[in-house]
Amino acid sequence: MTTAALAPGAESARFSRTREGATVLAVYLTSIAVALLVAALVLWATGGSPTTVLSAMLDGSVRADARWGRTISEAIPLLLVALGTTVNAKAGLVNIGQEGQLFVGAALATYVFTHIGVSGPFVLILIMLAGVVGGAIWAGIASALRYRRRMPEVLTTLLLVFVAAQLVGYGLKNSNLLLDPTPDQANRLLVSERLDPSTRLPRLSWFGNEFPVSAFVALALAVVVALVLSRTIVGFRLQMLGRGPRTAHRAGVSESRYGGMALVVSGAFCGLAGAFMLVGGDFGNYRLTPGFAVNIGWEGLLVALVARSHPIVAIPAAFVFAALRTGSGFLAATGVDRDITKVVQALLVLALLGPPAILFVRDRRRALAAARDRV
Amino acid sequence: MTAPPAAELEGITKRFGAVVACDDVHLALQRGEIHGILGENGAGKSTLMKVLIGLVLPDAGMIRVSGEPCRISDPAEAAEYGIGMVHQHFSLVEPLTVWENAILGERIRLDAASARQRVSEISERYGLDIDPDERVSDLSAGLRQRVEIIKCLRRDPAIVILDEPTSVLTPGESEQLFAVLRRVVEQENKAVALVSHKLDEVLTATDRITIMRAGTVVDRRDTTDADAPGLARAMVGRPVSLRSEGAALGHIEALDGEAAAEGSESEPSAESAEESPVLSISAATAKGRDGRVLLDGLSLEVYPGEIVGVAGVEGNGQAPLSDLLSSLLPLESGTVRVRDSEPVPGRPGSMAAAGVAVIPADRHESGCVLDMTVAENLTLVSPPRSRLGRAFLDRAGREAVAERLIEQFGIQTSGADAPMWSLSGGNQQRVVLARELSGDPAVLVAAQPTRGLDVGAIEYVSERLREAARQGVGVLLISTELPEVLDLADRIVVIFRGRIVGEMDRAGMDVERLGLLMSGAQEAAAS
Repeated sequence: MTTAALAPGAESARFSRTREGATVLAVYLTSIAVALLVAALVLWATGGSPTTVLSAMLDGSVRADARWGRTISEAIPLLLVALGTTVNAKAGLVNIGQEGQLFVGAALATYVFTHIGVSGPFVLILIMLAGVVGGAIWAGIASALRYRRRMPEVLTTLLLVFVAAQLVGYGLKNSNLLLDPTPDQANRLLVSERLDPSTRLPRLSWFGNEFPVSAFVALALAVVVALVLSRTIVGFRLQMLGRGPRTAHRAGVSESRYGGMALVVSGAFCGLAGAFMLVGGDFGNYRLTPGFAVNIGWEGLLVALVARSHPIVAIPAAFVFAALRTGSGFLAATGVDRDITKVVQALLVLALLGPPAILFVRDRRRALAAARDRV
Repeated sequence: MTAPPAAELEGITKRFGAVVACDDVHLALQRGEIHGILGENGAGKSTLMKVLIGLVLPDAGMIRVSGEPCRISDPAEAAEYGIGMVHQHFSLVEPLTVWENAILGERIRLDAASARQRVSEISERYGLDIDPDERVSDLSAGLRQRVEIIKCLRRDPAIVILDEPTSVLTPGESEQLFAVLRRVVEQENKAVALVSHKLDEVLTATDRITIMRAGTVVDRRDTTDADAPGLARAMVGRPVSLRSEGAALGHIEALDGEAAAEGSESEPSAESAEESPVLSISAATAKGRDGRVLLDGLSLEVYPGEIVGVAGVEGNGQAPLSDLLSSLLPLESGTVRVRDSEPVPGRPGSMAAAGVAVIPADRHESGCVLDMTVAENLTLVSPPRSRLGRAFLDRAGREAVAERLIEQFGIQTSGADAPMWSLSGGNQQRVVLARELSGDPAVLVAAQPTRGLDVGAIEYVSERLREAARQGVGVLLISTELPEVLDLADRIVVIFRGRIVGEMDRAGMDVERLGLLMSGAQEAAAS
């Protein structure tokens, strides 16, 4: 270009934080409005009443007795999974095997409490550690394959979900592994032994709403992740790796060490989520069951996407996703067809997922255009 | 009335942000003529040509083809008007063969036999000797360019644009290229536009010259009326000393005697022989993942306070050498020593920790992170650590460092927290330069440090390199621009096929021998 390119602040003036924030907000509001409109149309076309449905959703998630406690209970594992996902996403890695990592974490936790032979609060710590280790191992397999054998982690993490289901399923068929060994039970269900009451997580009861104390652990971890990412050298280097791997390598960031660590940490968060679900009591009634994970892993991944990998934003996002889960439980009473309620739920998910995708594509385009203009 | 020109650009204006790349430019390309478009990097030549081929839409102005006004909004439309372009950077698919590349992008039924035949026909007609079944990955840069030219000529365009075609060619290959262009023009009455910043090639290869500076046409003449000093003055806009003129503008002959004369006057760092080198690479050998030899026993030394230029035709090991010193390339054998340490090649950060600063050829790939802030980019290698603990960032300290470097290196930005992508190319390069020099390096590797920069930025970068050398840093300048190497380097080594094949200092400069070394002729004769 000409010497005019050196004129003060000529091009960088295009960037403004206020305008950026306003754009993001506008994109979200438009997106949600469109989704609600389409949802209303779908309901109306199938003979339902949009207002009744909305009211039922609100009842189910927050308004009715004890419901917001239930929503918080569901939000805890969603938030933990989302936090883990944020860590690997910052390192430029794609983990889509949360469901499996969560399940393996819960299974290892179950194995520990069914085999340790003692019970009591101190075992609780051990169970949670087992969950962390289980999730970390499961993600660690994908990590090892990624950095030793160059296998894409997108594939391995996903495929390991199905391996996990088979593996835990096998454990639940064998009484020396996970299956409840109680004899002379007719129609034996493939479930584990029930957690001893002395080994359960304390539950709080506020205004008739109950939720386990793990809620505060999850909130604290969100703050910790946010601080590690923004205030520590490790966090800085992790983000460098995600945004410019070659530059990071030159600056001394080992891809296998930081990337591998990010994936393992991500799995550990999922494993912890699984352990909390087990000892918290809201899932499986203190037992491991074949469908124990109930899509928390998949939906936690969506929470991270909606929060655009921001740990603090993940807190309200997790609550909203939990509210969609608990709220849809009340829809059946409105007479609206069950499948239609799923369509409505999916539309809202899309409305929240759309803006990050739109903003991502916009940022990419802008960066590419900037690169092209200036080479 | 004479026939209208093959193509006419009228009043073309194009702005990028605050920068005017082309300002009311007029240009007429006549049939049967090679039209040289001369100007420094950033003078607006490429932008003008991109307007003609439809890659850039002008803000104002008009294009006429054979007298008919037309609107060209993409290269496919340009092709319909009979305009074809050979780009500076190759756009070939390496694993495919020559003929497969030649028909890429065509919407016809695939007919291998006729496509092959068509390629053979073109290569015969224009003397572009090539085997249609050869894989592009096996071809040299010169041959790859032939494929590009065949790709362009296959549609039988009436107007052919070549953008800096000789930047990857040896002098011999360049001569062959010009012979082909002459044939195209004389036999088929085509119009050729040759974009270049090299005086000598414009003088030898063209019929008419348009000179651009800072986005405007400053002069037009017939080649027969032009001479080197006059063109140089028009290009730079001020009288230039013979030496820097030659160096900056690619007129090598002008430099020849002058360099030797200067060498004999000034004392070429005599004491450097007694000092120990800050960087010494010995017998470095490396292979790519596909088994290709990248470095083949490369050895070189850099002493404190000197600028060593690595000259060579692109693709002979410059990128691997730069990667090696960026800790991006592990070696199969050989060692690298930096001062008294022996960093492990390829281990993350090893070279940076040993004191090797790098200005990479592609700053977006390994020099900076576009999605991070200017402050973060200025402290990528050694972020300031907090007093609370070594694991924590000192954010205030980082801001302070960034503010200081922004001031010191004159980086134009809206603030230390502006994202890197919001900066212009020249300012991004300043950020890289500022970070690398602020680390107090022993060695500074500059790979193509001025590529794509405007005149002011080029001068700035060159001056910073000289300054670093004056302060005792060993500077390794890796550049395919011979004039740049000749201008800056105290000592020149020539790289060919991954090894150093020759060396000469300023006093013993022999441009002809340099050219032979670069083309590998010396190598062949020796073995």
